[in-house]
Amino acid sequence: MDIDLTFEQLVRDHQAMVFRTLLRMTGSREHVDDLAQDVFLRLYRALPSFRGEALITTYLYRIAVNVAQDEWKRRRRDERSHVSLSDETSAWEERLAHPDRNAEQQLEEREFQQTVEEQLQILSQIERTILILYHQEERSYEQISYALGMPIGTVRTHLHRGRKKLREAIQQRQTKERRTECQTNR
Amino acid sequence: MSDESMNSKLVNKAADDELDLRILRALETAPNVEIPADFAARVANRLPVRRRPVSLTATHYGRNAVFLGMILSLVVLIALSLSSGRHATFGLAESLLLTQFIVLTVWLSVRRFSV
Repeated sequence: MDIDLTFEQLVRDHQAMVFRTLLRMTGSREHVDDLAQDVFLRLYRALPSFRGEALITTYLYRIAVNVAQDEWKRRRRDERSHVSLSDETSAWEERLAHPDRNAEQQLEEREFQQTVEEQLQILSQIERTILILYHQEERSYEQISYALGMPIGTVRTHLHRGRKKLREAIQQRQTKERRTECQTNR
Repeated sequence: MSDESMNSKLVNKAADDELDLRILRALETAPNVEIPADFAARVANRLPVRRRPVSLTATHYGRNAVFLGMILSLVVLIALSLSSGRHATFGLAESLLLTQFIVLTVWLSVRRFSV
C-alpha cells in the first residue's frame, strides 16, 4: 500500500484528538489548523526512528505537547494577547445543551465551563497539559509520563497540584462574584 | 462540637464535593472542534518525499530476542543438569545460566510494551 495513503488514513484517525488537545492546551482556536499540521508532519519525519516502544497515539500526544510548548514560547516572544475561547461563537457551547435541562441551568453550566477554561489558562503549562491529558483525553499516568518524559510520581504530583490550584482559583472567583452581587443588590 | 457547627461543616463539605464534581465534569467535556474536510489530504500533500517506505507497525525485535534467549538458556540448563554429574565447572555454568534466565524473566514481566 502507498505510504502516503496510509499516512493520510492515520491523520484522519487521529486528527480530532490532535485538534481538541491543541485547542485546550493553547487556549485558542487561532492557528490550531497549522499547529495540527505541524504535529502530523513531525510525526511523519519521526517515523523512521519510531521503534514501537509506545502506541502511535501516545507518541502523537508527545509531539502535540512539544508543538504546544513551541507555540507558548512563540507567543511569549510575540507578547501577543491570545484570543480566548469565549471570544468566538463555538459549537462547543451548543454541545453543552441537553434536552433535560432548562435554559437557566444550561446557561449556568456554560458559564461554569467558561470559568474552568479561563482558570485552566492560569495554571502552569505542565499542570494544564497533565489535567487535559488525564481528564479530557483519559490517558493513564504511564502514558502521560511517556508523553511528557517525566516520572509517574511527578505526573501525579502535578495533577494533584493542578486540580487544587484550579479549584482554589474557581472558588476565589465565585466568592468575588458573590461579593460583587451582594454589593450591587444593596 | 455543637450541632450548628457540625451542620455547617456538613453543608460546606457537600458544597465542596459538588464543586469538585462540576470541575471534573467541565474538564472531561472536550471542546468541539471543527476540522476542515480536506485536512488529512492537505497534510498528505505536504509530506516530504521518502526514499524508503516506513512501517507503521511495531517490530518488537528486542522482545523476540529476549524470548529466544530465555528458551535457549532453559534448554542449556536442562541439558547441563542431565549431563553434568557433580563437576564444579558445570555447577558454575548452571548458576550463571539460571541467573540469566531469572533476570530475563523479571525484565519481561516488568517491561510494558504498549504505553
